[in-house]
Amino acid sequence: MSKARIGVYFCTRGNGPNPSLDYKALATYAAALPLVVEVKHLGTSPTLDPVALAKELTAKQVTTVVIAAPSPGYFKTAFTRAMALAGGDPEAIRLASFREHGGGFESPTERAKAVLACAVMDVPFGLAAVPAPSPVHPDTLVVGGGIAGIQAALEIADAGKKVYLVERTPTIGGHMAMFDKTFPTLDCAACILTPKMVAVDQHENIELMTWSEVEEVTGRPGAFKVKIRKKARYVDLDACVACNDCSAICPVSTDSEFDSSISQRKAIYIPFPQAIPNAFVVDAQHCTYLQSGGTKCGACVKKCSKDAIHFEDKDEIVEVEVGNIILATGYEVFDATRMERYGYGKLPNVITALEFERLTNASGPTGGTIVMKSKQFNKRTKQEEWVFDPDGPRPKSVAIIHCVGSRDRNYNPYCSRVCCMYSLKFAHLVKEKLQDAKCYEFYIDMRAYGKGYEEFFERIKDEGIHVVRGVSARVKEVDGQLYLRGEDILEDKVVELPVDMVLLAVGLEPDKSACDISKMLGVPRDDGGWFHESDYNTDPTGTDRGGIFVAGVCQGPKDIPDTVAQASAAAASVLKTILRKQGSESNSDLTLATIENRARQLAKN
Amino acid sequence: MTVQADPRLVAELEIYGAQDVLKCYHCGNCTAVCPFSKAPFIFPRKSMRYLQMGLREKLKSNLEPWLCYYCGECSEQCPREAEPGETMMSMRRWLTAQYDFTGISNLLYRSWKMELLGIIVLAILTGLGFYMFGTATGDIHKYDGPGAFLPSAVIHAFDWTMATILSTFLLINCGRMWWFTMGRDPEHRATPAMYARRAGLLLLHFFTQKRYSECDRKGPWRLHIVLMLSYVSMLVLIMFFLPMMQAGPAVNWWAHAFGYAATAGLLITVAMALWGRVQKSATHYKHSHETDWIFLIMLFYVALTGILQHACHRLGSPYAANILYLAHLMGVVPMLVLEVPFSKWAHMCYRPLAMYFSHVQVDAMAAKESAAAETLPA
Ligand SMILES: Cc1cc2nc3c(=O)[nH]c(=O)nc-3n(C[C@H](O)[C@H](O)[C@H](O)COP(=O)(O)OP(=O)(O)OC[C@H]3O[C@@H](n4cnc5c(N)ncnc54)[C@H](O)[C@@H]3O)c2cc1C
Ligand code: SF4
Ligand code: SF4
Repeated sequence: MSKARIGVYFCTRGNGPNPSLDYKALATYAAALPLVVEVKHLGTSPTLDPVALAKELTAKQVTTVVIAAPSPGYFKTAFTRAMALAGGDPEAIRLASFREHGGGFESPTERAKAVLACAVMDVPFGLAAVPAPSPVHPDTLVVGGGIAGIQAALEIADAGKKVYLVERTPTIGGHMAMFDKTFPTLDCAACILTPKMVAVDQHENIELMTWSEVEEVTGRPGAFKVKIRKKARYVDLDACVACNDCSAICPVSTDSEFDSSISQRKAIYIPFPQAIPNAFVVDAQHCTYLQSGGTKCGACVKKCSKDAIHFEDKDEIVEVEVGNIILATGYEVFDATRMERYGYGKLPNVITALEFERLTNASGPTGGTIVMKSKQFNKRTKQEEWVFDPDGPRPKSVAIIHCVGSRDRNYNPYCSRVCCMYSLKFAHLVKEKLQDAKCYEFYIDMRAYGKGYEEFFERIKDEGIHVVRGVSARVKEVDGQLYLRGEDILEDKVVELPVDMVLLAVGLEPDKSACDISKMLGVPRDDGGWFHESDYNTDPTGTDRGGIFVAGVCQGPKDIPDTVAQASAAAASVLKTILRKQGSESNSDLTLATIENRARQLAKN
Repeated sequence: MTVQADPRLVAELEIYGAQDVLKCYHCGNCTAVCPFSKAPFIFPRKSMRYLQMGLREKLKSNLEPWLCYYCGECSEQCPREAEPGETMMSMRRWLTAQYDFTGISNLLYRSWKMELLGIIVLAILTGLGFYMFGTATGDIHKYDGPGAFLPSAVIHAFDWTMATILSTFLLINCGRMWWFTMGRDPEHRATPAMYARRAGLLLLHFFTQKRYSECDRKGPWRLHIVLMLSYVSMLVLIMFFLPMMQAGPAVNWWAHAFGYAATAGLLITVAMALWGRVQKSATHYKHSHETDWIFLIMLFYVALTGILQHACHRLGSPYAANILYLAHLMGVVPMLVLEVPFSKWAHMCYRPLAMYFSHVQVDAMAAKESAAAETLPA
C-alpha cells in the first residue's frame, strides 16, 4: 500500500472553551509532521462546502484528513462527503480536538501541538498522554458539604479510608437541606438527607470541619499538603447541647441565610434544628460583644448553663496531608435583581425559588403555609416592613416564570437543568396547599429530561395547572396588584395576567469560591465557570490535575440523583488510587516532548 | 390554500439586513415587551417564525413590519440576541422591494454598488442636461429675472413632471401593497364602507405619526416627526412656491421663514441620525444597512446645497449660486427618483397605509365573526 498523504485542515469556529491558540505556530508545526503534505486554514465559517473541499483534496492528492479545531466534530460530515466526492476513503478522517484535550491550559498552543501530533500519527490522545504514576497518601479531602460532598465522604469512609470534610458554613447539608420535597418523587428531602448528615457526624473515618475553608494547597498529586482555616466558632462543639437559651436572650437579629433571608436569626444561632454539627455558632460580624471588643452585651455567655461559649476563641490553622481531593462546592442561585423587568427586590411578592422553598417548607418560618408578604410595623427599627406572617393573606393566584437568568445570552447562556422540574414541584405544592389558587407556569421549553420526569409533568398538568408556552416579559404593580405580561404562544395572544405572587425560577451559577479554588489548584473552568472535567464522556469526575476530582453541581448544573451518582463515581476513582497505592500526576503537566515520544512508540507498534 | 415553504427565505432577508433570525427560540419575550403588539397584530415573534419557516406569501401579506417603529426594546431583551427589531426593519426593506413592480427596488437593496451607480448616472445626466439647457438659454452669471441660468418657471415645470411620474410609480406600488395585504385575502373581505369609515386615519397617521408617539421612549419619535415635517414643508414649498423663493429683489419673507425652519430641521435631525448611527448610540442605530447611510448622506447633502445656493443668491453672488444650484439638483433628482418609489422614502406612504389597512382588517374580522355568530343556531 502506498504511503498516506495527510492533509491538516484548521477550522477555528467551535464552542466551548476556546483557548487563544497561535495558529501560525500550529501550522508550521503540522507541516513538519511525517506524511503531512498539505496544511490549510479554512477560516471561521461554521459551514464548509464539500464540493470545494473535494477539489482541494483531489488537487493535493490527500488520502487522509486531519481536522484540527476546538470542536472538529462539527466539520466531520462535510469532510466525509468531500472525501467520498473525491473518490477517497471517507473513513480516513481524524479529529484533533483542542477543546476536549486542551481547554484551559497554561500553554494551550503546546498542548494543541501534542493533540495534532497524535492525530497525525493516528494514536488516541488518551493513550499517548498518560500521566506518570505517583504514590498516593490514603487520606482524602472533600471540599464542600452539600449532598455531593456528603455522599462522596460517606462512600470513601465506609470503605475504611479517612476523609477530611471541609464545609464553609456552620452546617453540612448544602442546598438540599433547604428543600421540603424533591422532584419527581415528592419525597421528603430531610428524610433522605438527615440520616446521611448524622452518619457523617458519627463516622469514625470522617473528620468534619465546618465553618472552615481551605487556604492553601501545596505538594503534588498523591501527596498534597493542605492548610485549612477553622474559623472561630466561639461555641464549644462538644459542650453545646443546642438548647437555644443563648439565642433566646441575644438581642441582635439579622437575616437568616438558611431561610434565604425570609426570616431572622440571632447573632448566636444554629442554621436549623437538625444542623450537623448540632451546635450554635456566633456570627462575629453582628455580635455586639465581639464588635465592641468585649465591652458590651455578652448576655449569652452568662446564660449558657454548659459554659460552652468562649469569646476568646481564635481562628485555627490545621494542616493535613491527603492523597486526593474531591471538589464539591456546588452552586449559588442567579441574582434576580439583575433582571430589573421582573421587579425582584422592589415588588414584595415577587420571590425567588429558594425563598419559596423555605416558605413552603414545613420547618420554615411559616410552618409551610404559603402566604403573601404583608406589611408590618417593626418596633425595633420603627419602620414598616414586608414580612411573611403565617397568618397573612394566602395568594389566590401564583405565576412561576421559568429560565430566569438561564438560556439568556445577556446573563447565562446555559440551561440550568433543574428549574423546569422544581417549578413543576412548586406548582404541585401550591395546588396541594391552596386548592382554590390558580397556578401558571410560563415556560419556553419544558425540559423534563430524566427518569419519571415527563410523567411528573403530565401529572402536574392533570392537577389543573395552567401551563403557558411563552416566557413572561415583565412584572409590574398597579394599585397593589401584580400584573404579568407575556405572550401565550399557543393561544396566539398577549396576556396581561393579574396574579398575587410571582415565583422566579432562578438558574444556577458556580459558587463564588470556585474562581479562587480553580486558581489555587490549577483546575480549569469552562465558559459558565464550572470546573472542567477531564473528559465529558468518559471521565466526568476527573480533572486534568492529578489527584483532583469533581462531584455535583460544581462541575455543571444537575439534579440530586445525578449529583449523588457523580459523587459516588468520584469516590470510586479515589478509592481505586488508594487501593492500587498508585495515582497519577497531572495530565496538564505532561510536556509536548513526552507525548510526542510516546505517540511515536505507539505508532510503530 | 396550499402553503409553500421556501428554505432560502432567511438567506434572502439577510441581504436586506436581517441577522441571527435562526437564533430565535420563540420565548415570546419580544412580543410581550413590544408596546405596539396588540391583538390581532402580535409581533415580532410570529414574523420571526414565518421567516424561519420560509413562509414567503405569509410574510408578503404581513402588515406587522409596518406597525413596528423599531424602538428596540425587543432586541435589547431578546435572550438569544436574535435581533428581532432589526429583522422587522429588514422585512420593511424586503416588503418595499416586493411591492415595487419594476424590480428596481430589489436591485437597489440587494447591492449598494448598484444604488451608488444609479445615483452617479442620474446625477451626471441631470447636471449635463441642466448645464446645457442653462448655457443655451441663459447666462450662468445670472440667477433670476430674464436670461437666468436656471429660470424658476422651468425648474417648476420640471418638478411637476417628475412628481407626476414618481407618484404614478408609487401609487402603483401602493396598489400592489393593497393587493398583497388586503385584496387577495379571501378570508376577510373588507367592504368599501369599511375603507371609507377609516379613511381619516390615513391623514392622521401621516401627519402626526400618532402611533410612534405611543412608544415609551419619546426621543426617536420627536426626531422622526421633525425630520418628516421639515421634509414635507420643503416639498410643499418647492411644489407650490418655488418662483416666490427664487424671485427678487422683493422678498416674501413668509415663505422664506418656512424654508429656513424646514432646512434647519432637516440638517439637525439628519446630522443627529447620522451621528447616532456612527456611535451606535441606540438599538435602532446599532445595525446600519448600506441604504440607510446613502439615504441620510443624500438628504444632508441636498439640504446643505439647497441652503447654500440660496444664501449665495441672497448675498449677491449669482455665479456661485448657480453652480451650487446645479449641484443641488444633481442630488435632488437621483434622491427623489430612487428613494421615493423604490426605497426608503416609500415608507412615507406604506406606513400610514398599513396603519389604515390594519384597522380595516380588524373591522373585516369583526364583521366576519358576528356573521358567523348569527348563522349559529340559537
Ligand atoms: C430552588 C431549587 C430547588 C431544587 N429542587 C430539587 C429537587 O426537588 N430535586 C432535585 O433532584 N434537585 C433539586 N435541586 C437541585 C439540587 O439543589 C442540587 O442538585 C444539589 O443540591 C447539588 O448538591 P451539591 O452538593 O453539588 O451542591 P450544594 O448543595 O450547593 O452544596 C455545596 C456545599 O459546598 C459548600 N461550599 C461551597 N464552596 C465551598 C468552599 N470553598 N469551601 C468549603 N465549602 C464550600 C457550600 O456551603 C455547600 O454547603 C433544586 C435546586 C434549586 C435551586
Ligand atoms: S431547566 Fe427549564 S427553566 Fe431551567 S434553564 Fe433549563 S429550560 Fe430554563
Ligand atoms: S425575544 Fe428573541 S428568542 Fe424570544 S421570541 Fe423574540 S426573537 Fe425569538
